[in-house]
Amino acid sequence: MKVALFIPCFVNDLYPHVAMATAELLEGYGVDVHYPLAQSCCGQPLSNNGDSQGACDAARRFTGIFKDYDYVVSPSGSCTAHVKHHYPWYIADNADYQALQPRIYEIVEFLQDVLKVEKLPKPVYFPHTVSIHQSCHGLRELGHAAPSELMIPYHSRLERILQLVDGIEIKQPERRDECCGFGGTFSVDEPEVSVAMGEDRVAQHEATGAQYIVGADPSCLMHMGGIIRHRCRPIRPLHIVEILTGRGGAA
Amino acid sequence: MSSREQILARLRQNRPQGPALPDIDAVPFITFDDKFDAFRTLVRNLGGDAVQLADGDSVLGVVQQRWPQHGRLVDLTVENHEESPSPHAWHDVDVAIVPGELAVAESAAVWVSHADNQWRSIYFLTQKLVLVVPRDAIVDTMRDAYRRIAIREQGFGGFISGSSRTADIEQSLVMGAHGAMAALVVFV
Amino acid sequence: MKNDNINHAAAAAAFLQDREQARWHDSAIWWVRQKRDMQAKQLPEWEQLRALAQQIKAHTLSRLDDYLQQFQANAEKNGVTVHWAADADEHNRIVHGILAAEGVKKLVKSKSMLTEECGLNPYLEQHGIEVIDTDLGERIVQLRQEPPSHIVMPAIHLKKEQISELFHRELGTEAGNNDPTYLTHAARANLREHFLTADAGLTGVNFAIAETGGVVVCTNEGNADLGTALPPIHIASMGLEKIIPRLEHLGVFTRLLARSAIGSPITTYTSHFHRARPGGQMHIVIVDNGRSDILGNDDFYQSLRCIRCGACMNTCPVYRRSTGHSYSYIIPGPIGSTLGPSRDIKKHGSMAFACTTCGSCSNVCPVKINLHEQLVLQRKRAFDAGTLKPAKKMGLLAMRFLTQHPSLMDAGGKVMRKVVPIVPDSLTRHSAWSRPGRALPEMPEQSFKEMWQARQEKKS
Repeated sequence: MKVALFIPCFVNDLYPHVAMATAELLEGYGVDVHYPLAQSCCGQPLSNNGDSQGACDAARRFTGIFKDYDYVVSPSGSCTAHVKHHYPWYIADNADYQALQPRIYEIVEFLQDVLKVEKLPKPVYFPHTVSIHQSCHGLRELGHAAPSELMIPYHSRLERILQLVDGIEIKQPERRDECCGFGGTFSVDEPEVSVAMGEDRVAQHEATGAQYIVGADPSCLMHMGGIIRHRCRPIRPLHIVEILTGRGGAA
Repeated sequence: MSSREQILARLRQNRPQGPALPDIDAVPFITFDDKFDAFRTLVRNLGGDAVQLADGDSVLGVVQQRWPQHGRLVDLTVENHEESPSPHAWHDVDVAIVPGELAVAESAAVWVSHADNQWRSIYFLTQKLVLVVPRDAIVDTMRDAYRRIAIREQGFGGFISGSSRTADIEQSLVMGAHGAMAALVVFV
Repeated sequence: MKNDNINHAAAAAAFLQDREQARWHDSAIWWVRQKRDMQAKQLPEWEQLRALAQQIKAHTLSRLDDYLQQFQANAEKNGVTVHWAADADEHNRIVHGILAAEGVKKLVKSKSMLTEECGLNPYLEQHGIEVIDTDLGERIVQLRQEPPSHIVMPAIHLKKEQISELFHRELGTEAGNNDPTYLTHAARANLREHFLTADAGLTGVNFAIAETGGVVVCTNEGNADLGTALPPIHIASMGLEKIIPRLEHLGVFTRLLARSAIGSPITTYTSHFHRARPGGQMHIVIVDNGRSDILGNDDFYQSLRCIRCGACMNTCPVYRRSTGHSYSYIIPGPIGSTLGPSRDIKKHGSMAFACTTCGSCSNVCPVKINLHEQLVLQRKRAFDAGTLKPAKKMGLLAMRFLTQHPSLMDAGGKVMRKVVPIVPDSLTRHSAWSRPGRALPEMPEQSFKEMWQARQEKKS
């Protein structure tokens, strides 16, 4: 099984340890992990700002780079959602994309739906309380959990996979899935609203008594992390792969 | 070309694809074991109340008991009831007893209507509204209700659920916005 | 009328200056969202109900011309006069014409976003007609001479102290009495006088039934009922998308509307108007005002399914932290941010950017409009229409270029990782990222690509 890592541009530059943890986690399950060096941004910022030409070019480029792998796996719910659900706005008719689309997965989805993992590659002991940050695109576009708006049976991929970690205590913040306010370029187009949302979100995570905010989207974690750092708060954001590989808060 | 023709022509030209009308009966809707109980629980949260008339009691008796100090009372459920010279002349009614045709358990709503539209103002001008509904005229949901009402012959008909209310000031719920301050549904 | 030069980011930043008021606004409206959830949860069929509503509306839109003609024929059989208005101006002229013919001096109005859209009040006032908005929230904003900040809760941006002051000045209530019950009942007494002395009543329309030719108006206050039961003339103004094919369909929509809007099983009054009162008149004005154009747009015609419940506003984290007054179009929040740009991309295009694309609005929508996707698609129109600020446009074009040239992007990342840690805080503090209180991320030594390449070399 040839799996290509799709590492979002900002993760490549700012959160290399999250990308490395993703690779190691997959390798731990015996997966043949590849990292196509030609990859760049998936084009979501272009799409979200109305640049359809730029977004279309990015979608074509992405498809060309990844089409020959068995699977494409990414540690970002938002970028995965864009590639999987919004590329059809631009290249719905592209045969390569049509063949690739069902093979694109966010990392937690891949572990649960393709590898169907029932234990971690090596046992992890993480004796801390974590508050789950359910990022919007993972939630509402990928279906990572039951969104609080929909009257459907409750489920949560992140909670389910964290059950495999020893010693962990899992909490939900009040307003369990309200947006943190990042929103890509929204964060700089409307910085006051963005930060007000983020401050509220961080406070709700803190109120659970958790030491860590754990999520599957580095962009939301970056935004909340910036607010936490500015305010010198003790709570720390962590990507879920950092816990699953046993790196914990050490990385 | 008139505006009507222009608008219709544009709508015709711009028609999107659409599905066939769904069968709204294909979906099972909620049902209640005790419809009266569901109705009463709900209406009490909506600034109203509901009672089942006991044997030997009268609607007027229930009203007198509840509001012994009431002002002008008009009872439209009796034959040869008072007529109003104008819709405005009901403005000082304190208690209005009116016929309700059908009650809905899921929404605590009562259907009221009358062929003579002229005096419907009383439903909304009165300070206290008493709706008298036949005991067996209660259904589970609004879907059931719409199946039982014949609307076109009636100039006006409406569902009334509880008392008039608003939360327009700081989301504080206040009873008695413009219509009745209190609503009582008597099942007879 | 609203000032359509409002810039959301700037207006929202100003609103957030008073953080306490902003927090109150957020939690007051979030409470309505929670009430909606509690109501929805009680119905095992909730999601199927939404699907039915979506299908009925989608079907209706595909035959809107047929159903409107059927509606008109049935309404006329009932003795109702039906008018057609191509735009706001024609709507206002028709309404004024009806009122002028009967010498109407005072009009009582119940809530109608359509008349806000058309600017009816100022038009009639210019023609010497006294217009009294009778919904409590609408009355409050009318007295303050400002637009509603929410389509269901028009005065939700105000604190009771502000309303108390206003009522003291305008209605002569006790100074300093901030009790909502006292204030509401003072407005009740004042508006009763207006109801009893009005010459005509105007309502909006929640649903128009093609099969019966009648219209349905839903209120909690009873103002639409008093406004139509007392004066002899009833004018109902409706956007042409308000049509539903059959009476039985109300058995779907009346179950969704108030639950979605305010977290009640139904509004207090759900009134069905089919004929004028004896000796009176009933008029229905069917308004297009750009709707038929939206119908022809593949990306946006679904927005015409909207039943104006306001649930998308209540759930929108941006709306709750910025108020409706931060949006340039008269309808704020998610649905306004697609309807506004559809109407005029140059004026309202920026509204589509007041959104994190979290998608909560699409999930609460009782007719399942793909709201958050529509906002992204509106951004495409804004980009193509050249309405983006030059700096933003430049940034995007640079991004477009870098996306196609990853080696340049890598070089840029490398510079960033080296430079940011040594740039003094005073230089970054005023950036859009850091200004409101958000630190830059810590910069790692290497990119993942560099780490990966080193790792591969070590392996081989």
